[in-house]
Amino acid sequence: MRSSINTVQLPLIIFLFLLSMPLRLSAEETGEYIAIRKEGSAKIAIVLRQPDAKGKRETGWAQSLDSVIHEGLAFTGFFNILPAPLNIVDTTNPKNPVLNFGALNSVGSEIYAGGKVTKQSGEVVLDMEVYETLSSKQILRKTYTGREEQIRSVGLAFCADLVQLLTGKKSVFGTKIAFVSTRTGTKEIYQCDFDGQNVAQLTSSRSISLTPVFSPDGRYLSWTDFTSGRPNLYIRDLTTSQTVPAGKNGVSIDPAWRNSTEVATTLSFEGDQEIYLVRTDGSIAQRVTRSRGIDLSPTFSPDGGKMAFVSSRNGLPQIFVQDLGTGAVKRLTFSGRYNTQPSWSPAGDKIAYTTWENGGEINIFTINADGTGLVKLTSRCRENESPSWSPDGDMIVFTSNRDGKKKLYVMNASGENQRPLVKMDGEQMQPSWSLFRK
Amino acid sequence: MKKHVLYGVLVFALMATAGCSSSNNAASNEAANQQPVTTEQPALKTGYGFDQWQQGPLGDVFYEFDSSDLSVEAQQQLKDNASWLESNPQKGTTIEGHCDSRGTSEYNIALGERRSASAKEYLVRLGIASSRLETVSYGEERPFASGENDEAWAKNRRAHFVVK
Repeated sequence: MRSSINTVQLPLIIFLFLLSMPLRLSAEETGEYIAIRKEGSAKIAIVLRQPDAKGKRETGWAQSLDSVIHEGLAFTGFFNILPAPLNIVDTTNPKNPVLNFGALNSVGSEIYAGGKVTKQSGEVVLDMEVYETLSSKQILRKTYTGREEQIRSVGLAFCADLVQLLTGKKSVFGTKIAFVSTRTGTKEIYQCDFDGQNVAQLTSSRSISLTPVFSPDGRYLSWTDFTSGRPNLYIRDLTTSQTVPAGKNGVSIDPAWRNSTEVATTLSFEGDQEIYLVRTDGSIAQRVTRSRGIDLSPTFSPDGGKMAFVSSRNGLPQIFVQDLGTGAVKRLTFSGRYNTQPSWSPAGDKIAYTTWENGGEINIFTINADGTGLVKLTSRCRENESPSWSPDGDMIVFTSNRDGKKKLYVMNASGENQRPLVKMDGEQMQPSWSLFRK
Repeated sequence: MKKHVLYGVLVFALMATAGCSSSNNAASNEAANQQPVTTEQPALKTGYGFDQWQQGPLGDVFYEFDSSDLSVEAQQQLKDNASWLESNPQKGTTIEGHCDSRGTSEYNIALGERRSASAKEYLVRLGIASSRLETVSYGEERPFASGENDEAWAKNRRAHFVVK
């Protein structure tokens, strides 16, 4: 059994072709699967088989990897994970067991993924193979290596490759979510993995720490806290752990990265609250907004050319879009009296935000960047706030107090499948999904 | 709300009693009557700017929803505060801007700053040196009254004065 996959090998010539032109082949295969999903047909039906292993330790690794891959693929919502048919391996010729594509197709499988786990130089080595079952064609073959304590990363690296191959987009695997929690009694900054695992505390200010965001390259974290006695913005270089303050007198709050060298924030040192671009050393690069009233909560189009933000220039807060090249400003939201917390989607087409509605509910909406196509994603579950897109644009992480305390939730970008993300004490809020993958 | 005022006055009356030589009876009577205060005892002021969270000498000012505008009562309180600051030139104050829990927290930090700034500007116009007046916004992060109702929200929309 364990040798079965090894024997399912393509002729050498095709194998060399695969090695030499992996991107081109992936792109061709990818096209087909994007088409399947765009037709709105269901999820991708996949059979996952626990990797083969010999030896007790390797078998333990294989079981761990199997559950990491299962959970990872399930989290994306792209897959319908089918149980493997019993006769998945054809042992008609005991010397040459082969994958039984007939059996895979009969259970409705579109994709099969399996492989083997070995130990080499003390490290976990996962060899994975993926087939398109109808055509019996191999579409991915790759080896993943890591230390035993990195087994989760090894499994998720395969998930990332598979999702990118099948959907044509970067996946959520390897991304982080920064957020605020009251676990210690005061608000501190934390991070967790895309799926809520591996929670780590990043600040111990014992003050009030708010609105964390990672730079797109993951090198910097910026947030606001009150350690100086007033709400002040800080930028930490995560590679050196050096932290610099940004801003002068007054507040410096609610940052958003335009790119990995400039972060936008609201400063009030000139009297009114305006949005500025600040460099990673804390110095001011440029003032962006010019209007009386609150200008707050910047978020950028993927190319950094446009900025959506909150302004009270017309009274109650509404969301506006400013072209950073021309300086032209357009009001984006006309529905709802109190609209805040904009978040521009990584694809650039949509902006998520929150409306404080009559009756006290706060709900999350998405709207096209041109102001059309308003969609309400949450309703009748108290306060739903702080939407932040996953880097693939397929999910939104947000805060909700639907079950009492404020907790983090995720949902599909369409609003479906709303579910809790992190299990930890205290309240959690202000999540921000990283663009980088590690 | 009335209960809170009375409680605040009683607490402060007891504190004042501990610090000075007046009798308990006198303090209690004053609290019960809720007499306006003389300038010799500014700490015993009651009314608009004073409650269990503000026992003086400076009184707090309160705001309407999503507003940093100063009402007539707020302006009167700020005039009283300016008088006290004029009589106590060695003292300064931190003006904390606070918001109720509704709305979103980032916006409320900005709104709280506008509240503390509006109170400061008014005091400066009355002749108090801006170097004696610091401002800080806590947004909705440090509410005074708990509860999700009109009374608690009204209590939390304030500029809070801390003498230093």
